[in-house]
Amino acid sequence: MSSNAPDPAGDPNIRETPAGKTTGPDTDTLLQTQGLVKEFGGLTAIDGVDFGVDEGELRCLIGPNGAGKSTLMKLITGRHDATDGRIFYDGADVTEMRSHERVRQGIGIKFQVPSVFEAMTAFENVRLPAQRVVDGDVRERVSDTLERVGLGGFDDVTASDLSHGQQQRLEIGMAAALEPDLLLLDEPVAGLSLEERGEIADLVQELNDDGITFVIIEHDIDFVERIADAVTVLHQGAVFREGSIEDIRADDEVRRIYLGGE
Amino acid sequence: MVNGINLLLQFLDSFAFIVLAAIGLAIIFGMMDVINLAHGEFIMIGAYGTTMTYNAGAPLPVAIAAGVAVTTVAGLVLERTIIHRLYDRPLDSMVATWALGLALTQAARILFGNSLNSIGIPLGAISYGQFSYSLYRVLLAGVAIAVLVAAYLVFTRTEFGVRARATIQDPETAAAMGVETGRMYTITFAIGSALAGLAGALYAPTMSVVPGMGSSFLVEAFVAVVTGGTSVLLGTTLAGGVLGSVDALLSNLYGTFVGQIGLLIVAVAILRFLPTGLSGVVETVRERRERDAA
Amino acid sequence: MSATSGVFRVVDRIRARLEGPNTIGNSRGFWLGFALVLAGAFAYPTFVSAYQAGNTALFLLYGLLALSLSVVWGYAGILSFGQVVFFGFAGYTFGIVSINLGSTLGVTLAIPVAVLIATVVAFLLGYFMFYGDVSGVFVAIITLVVTLVLQTFMAQTAGDAWTVGSVALGGFNGMPGIPNLAVGTEATSVTFRGGVFYWLVLSALVVSYLGLRVLVNGRFGYAMVGIREDEDRVEMLGYDIRRVKLAVFTLGGTMAGFSGVLYAAWGNYIDPSVYSLTFATMPVVWVTVGGRTSMLGAVLATVSIEWFRQQLSITGSEYAMVIVGLLLLGVVLLVPEGFVPFVHRKVTEFRSDPTEGIPDAPESPGEGAAE
Repeated sequence: MSSNAPDPAGDPNIRETPAGKTTGPDTDTLLQTQGLVKEFGGLTAIDGVDFGVDEGELRCLIGPNGAGKSTLMKLITGRHDATDGRIFYDGADVTEMRSHERVRQGIGIKFQVPSVFEAMTAFENVRLPAQRVVDGDVRERVSDTLERVGLGGFDDVTASDLSHGQQQRLEIGMAAALEPDLLLLDEPVAGLSLEERGEIADLVQELNDDGITFVIIEHDIDFVERIADAVTVLHQGAVFREGSIEDIRADDEVRRIYLGGE
Repeated sequence: MVNGINLLLQFLDSFAFIVLAAIGLAIIFGMMDVINLAHGEFIMIGAYGTTMTYNAGAPLPVAIAAGVAVTTVAGLVLERTIIHRLYDRPLDSMVATWALGLALTQAARILFGNSLNSIGIPLGAISYGQFSYSLYRVLLAGVAIAVLVAAYLVFTRTEFGVRARATIQDPETAAAMGVETGRMYTITFAIGSALAGLAGALYAPTMSVVPGMGSSFLVEAFVAVVTGGTSVLLGTTLAGGVLGSVDALLSNLYGTFVGQIGLLIVAVAILRFLPTGLSGVVETVRERRERDAA
Repeated sequence: MSATSGVFRVVDRIRARLEGPNTIGNSRGFWLGFALVLAGAFAYPTFVSAYQAGNTALFLLYGLLALSLSVVWGYAGILSFGQVVFFGFAGYTFGIVSINLGSTLGVTLAIPVAVLIATVVAFLLGYFMFYGDVSGVFVAIITLVVTLVLQTFMAQTAGDAWTVGSVALGGFNGMPGIPNLAVGTEATSVTFRGGVFYWLVLSALVVSYLGLRVLVNGRFGYAMVGIREDEDRVEMLGYDIRRVKLAVFTLGGTMAGFSGVLYAAWGNYIDPSVYSLTFATMPVVWVTVGGRTSMLGAVLATVSIEWFRQQLSITGSEYAMVIVGLLLLGVVLLVPEGFVPFVHRKVTEFRSDPTEGIPDAPESPGEGAAE
C-alpha cells in the first residue's frame, strides 16, 4: 500500500509513492491492474490484485514460489486471459487486447525460460523485433542494440552457442529493440554468476535511466536491493506488502511467509 | 422419410464401425502422441489374416483370433524398428506412418494380389416390414461396447491400467515413480495393434478384402480420435456417438456420400470450435459442477 | 565507371535481394551453376520431341505445387495437407469456365478466374483456422479432413444434376475436354502446347522460385521463419501471427492454384483423384525428401520422384509406391532435414575443415609399417 503522506509543503498533489519518488500531476501511472483475478480450473492463482507501477519506476516483484508472480506477468502481457478484473496501460484499458497489440502499445517481456531463437544468429534474433520499429535498413539499430547489451561483435554467433548469461542479455536486447515503455523481466539473473548478475543489474539501470519502466521478478535479494526503487511482495495470489526494499527486508511478516509457508 | 428403426440400426452400425476402428488409434495417440496413419493398414493386416485363415479352413472365431494375433505381432515388430523413434513427434509421426502405410498397402498388393476371396457375411439379416439390415453388423455394436467396457476395466481396475493412465497424464512423473515407460509404450502399441487387428478381423466378412481397404477405416478412426479429445475412452465413445449419429441421419436422408461428408464437416467444426475435443467439453462441465458444489 | 562494373553493381544489388540466411545457395558459384542448369532446361525442348517436352512439363508444374508447400511448411511451419484442395479447385474452375465460354478469350479469362477462386478458398480456410487459433498438428488434421471432404464430394458428382453451365463435373469419370492454355482472342493468340507449354511452365517455376527467394530473405520472410521456430515468442515481439500465417497460407493457395490450372490444361482433363489421400500427400513427400528449408530441394525432389514414378509405372513395376513409401520413411527417420540441406551441411562442414576424413600421417616409418 503506497504511503500517501503529503508533501510537508502542503501541496496535496505531491505524494510519495512506494518508490520513494515524489509523484505529482506530471508523473503518470504507467501500469495499473484493478481487481485482477485468474482461475485455472479449480485453482485461483491470482486473487484480486491491484498492482500499479509509475512511469520511470524500477519495481521488483518478489514472493515465495507459487505466489503467482509469473502468472501476474503473463496476465499483463496477455499470455493468459483474466478471469476477472481490468488492466490499464498508459491510460488505456488493455484487458481485451491480444498480446501482440499490447506489445505494440509499448509493453515488452523477457520470459523466465530463455526463449531466444536458438537456430538463428544473435543478429537475426534482434532483427526480428527491430524490423518492426525501424523503416529501412535495420542493421545499424541491431548492431547498436547488441552493443548496448554487451554483445557487440557477437552478431554472427548462433544463439544456441551463447552462454546462459549471454542468452539472457540477448533476450533483454530483443525486448529493448522494440523501444518499449514498460519492460517486464521474469527472473533475468537466474542461473548466472555473481559477476554476470552485476552486469545485468548495470544494464537494467542504464535502460531505466534512459526512460524504460521496469517490473522485475527476482528471487535474488541482493540483486533486488541493488536496483529496485520499490518492491511488491506477492503471496498466494494477492499483494501482501509494498514498500522500499529496506522496509520489506525489515518486515517480520514477509520473512514469515518465505520461511513458514503460510 | 426417416425410417425410425432403420435409423437406429444404422446408428448402431456407424457407432460400432467408428468405435472399433478408432479405439486402437486412440490408445496409441493418447499414450505416445503418435498419429499412426498406417492404422488403416494394420486393420487391413487383421482382415487379411482372418480371411486367409478362414479360407484355409478354420472356423470364423478362430480366424478372427488369428487375425488379431497376426496384427499384434506385426505391430510389435514395427514398434521396435520404426515407431519408437517417433514418440512425442506428432507431425513427423504422421508423415512417417503415412509412408509406412503406403509401403504396406503396396506390399500386400504385390504379395497377395488385388483381392482375396471374401468371407461371406454370417448371421443373415433382421427383417422388419419390407426392410432388412445385416444382423452381424448391428451385433458389432455390442462388441464395440464390450471393447469399451473391457478397456475401461483394464484402465481403472488393473495395476497395468493405473500405470498406463499415469504415463498418459505425465510420463516424467510416472517414470520417476518407477514406471518403465519404454515397456509401457511397447505394450500399449501392441494393444493398439491388437484392437486394430480386431476391427479388421470383425469387418472382414462384411466387405471386399483388398489392399486398399484400410483407408475407409482410417478416415473414420482418424476423425474420431482427433475430435474425441484428451480422454481416450470417453473421447472415443463420444465421437462414436456424435459422428455416428450425424452419419446415420444424413445417410438415411440423403445417401452415404452425404453422410460421409456431413461427418467430416462436423468433425472440422468440432476441431475448430472445441479445441479440447468432445471429452474436453464433458470434463469442463464436470469440473464446473464440482466447483459449484464445493 | 566502366560498363562492366556497372553491370556487376546491378547484379550485386539483385543478388542482395535474393540472398540471405534463409536460403541455401548464396555464392557466386551457386548462381553460375544455377544459370547453367537453367540454360540447359530452356534448351531442352530443342533436342527432344514436343511430346517429351510436354511430359516433362508435368514434373515442373508439380514443382510449382511443391514450392507452394515449401513456403507454407518449410518457411512458416504450417504443415498443410490441403495444397491439393487449391490445386483441384483451380483446375476444375479452369475447366468449367474455359469450356463454358468456349472461345480463346474465354480460355484467357478462365486462368485468372481459376487462380482467384483458389486464392479465395485458401484465404477462407486460412482465416477459419488461424483466426480460430488452430495451430500445429491440428492445422495438418483440418487440411487433411478438408481434402477428404472434397474427395468424397467430387466422387459423387456423376450425373446430369452436377453440371455448371454446359459442363458436367463428372464424378469419378472426371471432366474431359479441357482446352490447352491460350492467351489472346480469336484473332491473335498464343496457344501453349508441347515445347511452348514447357517454356511457360518453366518460366512460371523460375519466376516463382526467384520471387519466393526475395520474399523469404526480406522482412516478411524473417517473420515467417520466426513463427516456424517459436510462434508465441514472435507474438510477444509484437507480430500479429495470425495475419502472417494467413498471408503465407493464401500465397501458397495462389501458387497451388496456378499449378492446378497448368495441370488441367496439360492433360486436358481433371478428376477427383487430385483430391485423393495419395496425391494430397505427394507434396509432403516431395518437400520432406527435398528438404523443408530448401525450395530448390523441393523442386529437385519433385522432378526426381515423379520422373522415377513414371519410369516405374512404364515398366509395369508395382514397386513404385513401396519405394516412395520407404524413401519417405527413411528420410523422416534418418535424414529428417531432407537431402539438399543435408548435402549442403556436409559440404559446408567439409569446406571449413578440409582435413576431416584424411587419416593422420604415421609418426615414424615403424608405426606406419606396423599398421
